[in-house]
Amino acid sequence: MKVLGYAGMVLTLLLVAVPVYFIVITSFKDRPDIFVSPATWWPPTWYPENYSYVTQEIPYWQYLRNSAIITLVTGSIKFVLGVSTAYALVFLRFPFKKLLFLVVIAALMVPNQITVISNYALMADYRNTFVGIILPLAGVAFGTFLMRNHFLSLPKEIVEAARMDGAGHLRLLFRVILPVSIPTMVAFAVITLVNEWNEYLWPFLMSDNAAVAPLPVGLTLLQNTEQGVNWGPVMAATLLTALPMLVVFLILQRQMIKGLTSGAVKG
Amino acid sequence: MGDFTRRGFIATGLAATAAVAAACAGSGSGGGASNSGNGGGGGDITLRFLSNHPGSSKATEQALIDEFQKANAGIKVELLDGGKNYEQVAQKFQTSLSGGEKPDIVVVSDVTWFNFALNKQIAPLDDLFAGAGLKPEEYVDSLLADTKFDGKHYAVPFARSTPLFYYNKDVWKKAGLEDRGPKDWDEFAQWASRIQEAIGGDKKALVIADGENYIDWAFEGWNWSKGGAYSDGWDLKFTSPETIAAANQLKDVIGKWGRVVTTPENDFGAGLAAATVQSTGSLKTITSTAKFELGTAFLPGPAGKSCPTGGAGVAVTEAISAERKAAAVKFIEFLTNTNNTSKFSQATGYMPVRKAAVDEPTMKAFIEKNPNFGTAVKQLPLTRSQDNARVFVPGGGEDIGKALQQIATGGDTAAILGALQKTIQGKIDSQIKPKLPK
Repeated sequence: MKVLGYAGMVLTLLLVAVPVYFIVITSFKDRPDIFVSPATWWPPTWYPENYSYVTQEIPYWQYLRNSAIITLVTGSIKFVLGVSTAYALVFLRFPFKKLLFLVVIAALMVPNQITVISNYALMADYRNTFVGIILPLAGVAFGTFLMRNHFLSLPKEIVEAARMDGAGHLRLLFRVILPVSIPTMVAFAVITLVNEWNEYLWPFLMSDNAAVAPLPVGLTLLQNTEQGVNWGPVMAATLLTALPMLVVFLILQRQMIKGLTSGAVKG
Repeated sequence: MGDFTRRGFIATGLAATAAVAAACAGSGSGGGASNSGNGGGGGDITLRFLSNHPGSSKATEQALIDEFQKANAGIKVELLDGGKNYEQVAQKFQTSLSGGEKPDIVVVSDVTWFNFALNKQIAPLDDLFAGAGLKPEEYVDSLLADTKFDGKHYAVPFARSTPLFYYNKDVWKKAGLEDRGPKDWDEFAQWASRIQEAIGGDKKALVIADGENYIDWAFEGWNWSKGGAYSDGWDLKFTSPETIAAANQLKDVIGKWGRVVTTPENDFGAGLAAATVQSTGSLKTITSTAKFELGTAFLPGPAGKSCPTGGAGVAVTEAISAERKAAAVKFIEFLTNTNNTSKFSQATGYMPVRKAAVDEPTMKAFIEKNPNFGTAVKQLPLTRSQDNARVFVPGGGEDIGKALQQIATGGDTAAILGALQKTIQGKIDSQIKPKLPK
């Protein structure tokens, strides 16, 4: 039984790791070495110039800065909105609460791409600015859903105890509820950050040049229509782009896994 | 915060909702305001040029823009990024038409321009040629004729390419063949078994693109050379006996000595095939990856009936002021004049769009140093405008590509072409015929 378990683990590891390994070594290959048959699993000649090509050909650092700004700001807004909306839906009483929640959930089912045209018409005056990119992305249904369900799962005794001690809403939120919800919050934060980092369609339509374009949009400058793509620099750029998110995940992974599996095991 | 009563809370909530609703209604009408901006008052005009920088040409485009601005006080040009390929720049253009400042000049490809022209989103340019000093007869005839509709031109050639026949000279020598391309596809079919033997192993004599990567473009010339066509004007010819025969030859050749792949230039450059049909734009890539001696030739077939045009031109948005349109055409004339098309062509590998460009001194020197590029340029006068079914029907190229891929990998030719004819005819009847001028 244990053997099967380990076999499954190794298989999954290979499925995920082999393409990633291939990306890493391709980023170090020179152009003629990339498309050979049979494929080479170790670069015949090391060609780290791909990395300097990426940072010189395109304004890479500017795109990185834009990506960081967009991701952090959008992520923060989404986080605050998500937590406060969830809090309101769980701990406040007001009419139409269930209806409001259903509307928020319905928004989860509408894919990004459908609202693009109407958003564009609305935000047209803010084209090529950070505000224009961030604002429509800042609406969050997923986070609300996640945090609301987590708050509902908190034992009522804690809330009652805090109320009896005379805690108002703010103190209840910051002193009692949030410290208990850290794993879920971290999960929410990581998923949001990664999604914002990889966002392509909306920044593409909204940005005109390197002033505000994030990395996924900027990297298209390395790709070509009829000439065929030079995969070495593209792989190098892919790795450089994935690195920050990888670091974030590595730092927060323990908390995140706890957050995603909380409630699965009682106590 | 503790004594924020429930009543107070609900009242605040209602007020906030009302405010948001009012704001949405207000900005909805405000957002519709179009290009008032720079046009008024006769000051500087700033044109907005939306481009996907075909052939990694952003630096070249910017250099040309700087020169234009120096020579034309009062007109500035802003270069906007349009994504990685022609489809993305068309998507961005389409979205930008829904509000705010629209781009004035946009790169449109052979398959995206017609939809914009039909829906009056790009402007007919003939009346503006004279004012900008643009002489249509100076352009390569087939390239300019490509974007003519209802007697008017809707785009000016910019980054144009054609398919080219690439072959591996080393394999050709090994197979004992003359160092030239086949004179038509029948001759290639005769040579193919010798080529296959010479290249040996799992490699193939011919590799061709799949449905997603423009097999419909590569096959268009092949079809013409055998007397077939995708369409003749608006009459579809998919089920004509010549087209069916050509498609069967495609199936035969690929089945016995060929392969359908996503990026034929990569397979060919890596030595996995002895020949391919691919864009002239891939020449730089193939030259840099090939470890063998590279040969190029015209597409096999009779002159004038074997090679389609391709690539992109530049168009002017319809919904901008007349003053901006005139300035835009002035810029377009500069962008594509003899010296500049020569510069652009040498930097990117696209074809020079003016007849005089081949005699321009730097171009002559470039062709001498790059004889394979010279082949492509010499093929240019022999090209023909593409069939309506591929370039004018929305999604036409993709439909044809899918069908051809099925045929090339062993499908029933007559049945597939019959179904394709029905699909395309349906699209024409429902989406195009109602909009055609009577």
